[in-house]
Amino acid sequence: MNAVVKGLAAIALALLAIPAFAQSTKPNDAQIAAIVVAANQVDIDAGKLAVKHAYDPEVKAFAERMITDHTAVNKQATALVKKLNVTPEENELSKSLKADGAKTLDKLRELKDGQFDRAYIDNEVKYHQAVLEVIDKTLLPNAQNAELKELITKVRPAIEAHLKHAEQLQASLK
Amino acid sequence: MNATSRCSLWCFRQRGARAGLLAVSTAFAIGAVSPVFAAPRVHEVVIEGMQFNPATLEVNQGDTVVWTNRDFFPHNATAEDGAFRSNDLEPGQSWRFRADTKGDFPYFCSLHPTMKATLTVK
Repeated sequence: MNAVVKGLAAIALALLAIPAFAQSTKPNDAQIAAIVVAANQVDIDAGKLAVKHAYDPEVKAFAERMITDHTAVNKQATALVKKLNVTPEENELSKSLKADGAKTLDKLRELKDGQFDRAYIDNEVKYHQAVLEVIDKTLLPNAQNAELKELITKVRPAIEAHLKHAEQLQASLK
Repeated sequence: MNATSRCSLWCFRQRGARAGLLAVSTAFAIGAVSPVFAAPRVHEVVIEGMQFNPATLEVNQGDTVVWTNRDFFPHNATAEDGAFRSNDLEPGQSWRFRADTKGDFPYFCSLHPTMKATLTVK
């Protein structure tokens, strides 16, 4: 149990570090594209793990929703960068999102049943909060291309809806 | 049959036809202004930005509501009391529903339960 608590604390700390980092960077459009793709992929990967390991059917359904919605966003993002002839450029933020996502998955893999469900949903709440902050403080203020900005603007309500949905599940699991 | 009797028969038929036509057109005119005979209307609800727009819609019994998904993600329209449920609408897809039962129908997207709206059928 102590290891579990430590694991969860590590996840929380890793995620809390993202917004502080996000405020200090001014990415270009190619870097923003890489951040968008990484942010979605991290949540798709967590969703895939949760579909296999979740105990509660509602948590499983939520995980399936995350896979579908974030895959749809990445499909749009990939189509847009192709249209704009932009090659996504990896950067500190996209790399740290992926590295933190991988660490989160390692911690989640150690958990079972109800513990897994609570840790996954707690992480989803924190992750969507962090992504909203990245959108508001880093992506929207720095995006130059109008279509890229429009894509991020259209995605924001989905992140907000996912956050509220995760918060409802978080309350029901306690 | 002489010319006069032929005329009176023809004139009678013409008068009858005109009277019938008048009765029909009067009925249509009354129907147009009376809500009882109001022609069913089609109402649009656009699903975009994780919202149903308009979020509250009032229609008359017999009207049709068309939901169209303009988001990147699948959505549906599911009545809380089970009175209606669309299939999952892929981006760009629509679903038509004829509102035959009066009442207030709060509904939501079962895929994204924070998306809520209300259909009122009068």
